[in-house]
Parts: sequence; C-alpha cells; structure tokens
Amino acid sequence: MADGDDAPFYVGYLPVPRRLSRFLWIVVGANLCFFLASAAILARTMSDPGPAVWNDGQARQFRGTIVAWPYPMLIDTEAATPSALLLVEVGKHGVNREFGALRNKRVVASGWTLDRGGQRMIELEPQPESLALESFADGAATDRPLTPKSLGVVTIRGEIVDSKCYLGAMKPGDQKTHKACATLCIRGGIPPVLVERLPSGGTRCTLLANIDGGPLDPAAFDRIAEPVEMTGELEELAGVRRLRVRADAIRRL
Amino acid sequence: MSVGYVAVQWSPHKRRYDAVATACVVAFVATWVVTGRMLWKGEHAISMEILLLRGLGACAAVLLHVILAIGPLARLDRRFLPVLYTRRHLGVMTFLIALAHAALAIGYYHGFGVVSPLVSLLTSSTSLTSLHGFPFEWLGVVALAILFLMAATSHDFWLKHMGARTWKRLHMLVYVAYAALVGHVALGAVQTDRGATYIWIVGTGLVLLSGLHIAAGLRAAAIDAGQLMPAEGDAWIDVGPPDEIPMDRARIVAARGRERIAVFRHKDGFSAVTNVCAHQGGPLGEGKVIDGCITCPWHGWQYKVGDGCSPPPFTEKIPTHAVRLTRGRVEVSTVAQPPGTALPPLRAGAEEAHDG
Repeated sequence: MADGDDAPFYVGYLPVPRRLSRFLWIVVGANLCFFLASAAILARTMSDPGPAVWNDGQARQFRGTIVAWPYPMLIDTEAATPSALLLVEVGKHGVNREFGALRNKRVVASGWTLDRGGQRMIELEPQPESLALESFADGAATDRPLTPKSLGVVTIRGEIVDSKCYLGAMKPGDQKTHKACATLCIRGGIPPVLVERLPSGGTRCTLLANIDGGPLDPAAFDRIAEPVEMTGELEELAGVRRLRVRADAIRRL
Repeated sequence: MSVGYVAVQWSPHKRRYDAVATACVVAFVATWVVTGRMLWKGEHAISMEILLLRGLGACAAVLLHVILAIGPLARLDRRFLPVLYTRRHLGVMTFLIALAHAALAIGYYHGFGVVSPLVSLLTSSTSLTSLHGFPFEWLGVVALAILFLMAATSHDFWLKHMGARTWKRLHMLVYVAYAALVGHVALGAVQTDRGATYIWIVGTGLVLLSGLHIAAGLRAAAIDAGQLMPAEGDAWIDVGPPDEIPMDRARIVAARGRERIAVFRHKDGFSAVTNVCAHQGGPLGEGKVIDGCITCPWHGWQYKVGDGCSPPPFTEKIPTHAVRLTRGRVEVSTVAQPPGTALPPLRAGAEEAHDG
C-alpha cells in the first residue's frame, strides 16, 4: 500500500512527485495496453456476416419481365434458365412507384445490384425512368407469363429478415441487433425472407407471403429477427422460393 | 478552486490526462476497425458504419468500466488519486463516444424508412414482457440520458449551485447508467451469435467492478472500525498521543452518528476541521498541510488550519473543532463550530489551559 504518511502527495496544480510520476507512467502504459487488447479481443467476437455484396458504384441496366409475386421481381425470361431479381427502391422502401401497367411486360430497370450467393436484387435508381418498358425495333413489347411450381406443404425453421439488408445493404443484416432495421424495412415494403441455416453451413432464403399470396400479414412482424418455425405452401418461380403462410402459423422457437 | 467560472481550468496535468484518454480511445477504435477489417474481408466484410458503431459502443462501455474502477482503486491505493483528480473528463468523453454510437445506430438502423428515426426507435419493438423481444435500444437511451445529465452538470458551476450532497447523489446515477448498459448489451449483442463470448465479457466486467467496490468498502469499514470512538454523549473524543500524528498530516476520528473529524498536526500545533471537503466531499483527513493550508487529496482544495477558510481570493469555508490536551493525549470536541470559525491551534504545553 502507498498509504503511508510519507507517501507522495499529489495536487493537480503542483509538480508531480517523482515517485508518483513513475507509477503514473506505468498506469498510462497499462491503460494503453488494456484498451488495445480489449479492442482486439472484443472485435474478434464479431462473426462472419456472410458473402453479400452491394454494388453501389455505377448503376447498371437489366432487362426482363416484371412480375409481382407479390413483391415485384424482374425475371430474365430470355435465359435458358429464367432467373429473378427482386426490385426495391433506395432507402428502406419497396417499389413504391406505379408499375401496374408494366406487369408481365418486358422492361428495362436501371440500378444497383445486391447479391448473396446468387440471390439477387436491384435497388432502382430514384428517377421514374429507371423502370420503363423496353423498346423494340417494331415498337412492341413482349411478355411471357410464367407459372410458379408448387413444392407442397413444408415446415421451415429460420429467421425472418428484410431481403435488402440481408442481400448486402447492411452487413450483418440479421439477428437481434438488426431487428429494428429489418422491421422498418419490411414495413416500408422491402420483401421479407425467411433465412434458413442449412446443415452444410450455408443459408437459403425463402420469400414470405400471406396465405392468400399477398404481402406478409403485419401481424407476423413481431416475429422478425427471432428464431421461428412456420408451416406453409412452398412454391418456386424462376429460382425464387416463396412460402405462403398464415401469421398465426409462425411460432417462436 | 476558483473565484470565477471558465469552461475548463486547463493545467498541464489536465492536458496530459486528456491526451492519454484520447490516445486510449483512438487506439481502441482504430484497433477495433482494423481487427474487424482483417477478420472479414471482401464479400464477407462487415459494413463500415456497423463496424464503427459497434467499436464506439464497445469503447464507451470499456471507458465506463474504467471510470467506475477508479473510485475503489483510489480507495485501495492512494497512488491512483491523480487518476481520480480529473475523472469527470473521462465522463464527458464517455458521453460523447456513446452519443456518436447512438447517432450511428439511430441513423442506420432507424433511418431511411417510412417513419422518422425516433418513431422507429420507440415502436420497432415493444415486447416489454419478453427477453427476446425487449427493445434493448431503450436501455441504451436511458444510459445515454444519464451520461448526458452527468456530463452537463460536471462543471463546478453546478457543483456550487446544487450543493455537494445533491450533486454527488445525482452523479451516483452512474451506477444506474451502468445497469442500463449491462441490460442494453445483455438484451442486444448477447442475443446474437456473439452471445456466449459476450456473456463472459460482460460477466467478467461485472465481477471485477463488484469485487473492487466490495474490497474498497471492506477497507473503509476496517479503517472506520479503527477510528470510530464510542463517544455517545461525550463532548470530547480521544485522538491519541500527540506524537502519533505525523507532521502536516491528520488522524481521522468520529463519534457515532456524526461526521468524521480530521485532527491535523502542523508547525503551529494541532487543529481540527470536518473531514468533509466543501468541494466534492473528499476526505480532508487523508490530505496534507501545504503552505499552512489543509489540502484535499481529491482535487487540491485548500483551507487554512486556523479557521477552515480557503485562502483569498477563494471563499469556501468548512466547520472547525476545538482541540485540547488531556493527560498527555490530544482530544477533539464533537461540537462543530460554524464554517470558518477561527480557533487557536493547540500548542505544545497547553495542557493546563485546556484541561478541564
């Protein structure tokens, strides 16, 4: 103990006693080491947010048929195997522009892609012309209706997240600390997805819709970012899986 | 001590203190960001804003632990007193870092949506009865509000106008802020896949802080047990032989149920004052007589040995106590004289005059 009566006495406006000065330099060094070490240790607890990329540099153009399932998607029907890209607006908003006249029509969409393991999305540029009918030499636009394939009734366990953050807008875009953001995104029309952790270690996304095929019932929003199990009708369209489910059939694990 | 108010009364000590604290904060956040970037790269990289807000949050939490550790450390080993001296600077720094963390979190998690960030903050989760759904952000807001209150009232202006006792009580809310912080982390980050490690980290911090406070409390109790005199009803307390009090130092005594008294030995004899500094309630009896003034070990506030008045131009005053010599032992009166009352020091050979 340094509590003896001959212990150096410190007053802030007087010179620091030599013996105390040595001790204080040790305290300074120890503190710096402590802060460096604790930052390195704590930072190492952060886990892998997954392989997701938000290409938010130069906007690109994409061509395809626009469908609402119930969330708008751009499907490249010209490819041998049709593939779909979900469409969203800038910020935490689903497509909020009028696109009814474009349904099942060939369109050109310009924006930035988000991609997670081949599951893709386009964040549309904010100007209205970023989603427009594709022009052809003969002046006509073509469409090619697609039919979803039923995969039967299934029970899936996973976590409800918003697709935009999860596909790369925010990393990590899942779990409790992201709950508020995911809720705000889904309220704003960003398609909700169920993230299923596969035995292989990877993940799989399934779009969530209401049992009648419309957008997910807001009653299910309380279950966002929680471990859940749900049973519903599974379908597939252009490589995108969709589960039609009742809100009361979503159970917290 | 001051006769006027300025934002910060800078001294070389305070500049060095702030420089070290800033270096620690910068080192922490930089290490955090670099570690995060090295750990997860390319497609797996964590968003920079998330990395930053996590780093700032963790830094504020670590700083709050340091702040709470300084008090008991200084009690256990007085060599830590210089760290206590400017602790409020650490408090203000912690608030600013926590504010930056909150601004990033509210901006990115609650911004850019269909409702305002504050509405989102209050409505995104309201499952108050569920540990999993509990809005951990609210606990962060509580901690931040308390840190703001403490930072805003940290200046001596507020200390003077609120009174040391009220000010101290207000600043004891730091423990509520700490509890809110633990809840914020336990119901937030712990409930992610980092949970297991975080439980250990938060638990270790809690155990260390509790251990330090208990150890400091036990030591204070042991000191009290050695100093408290069973003097109920007695007007005078035995302090001991004059030679047992070191020159320019004090012995602390107390009658049960009363404020402690510090009996100082100095070149003119013996004088007694309350043990409580008028500034922040620091233990004057652990101080030293410098230039004829009792000097508080916490922040260097001074009082003249003869009358308990701060030297001009300062105006603070503390109660004084009469001292006498009885059968070769120093005794001090339990009756506190009004602050600033001049009492002649007990000089050697004064037994005849005071005995009675």
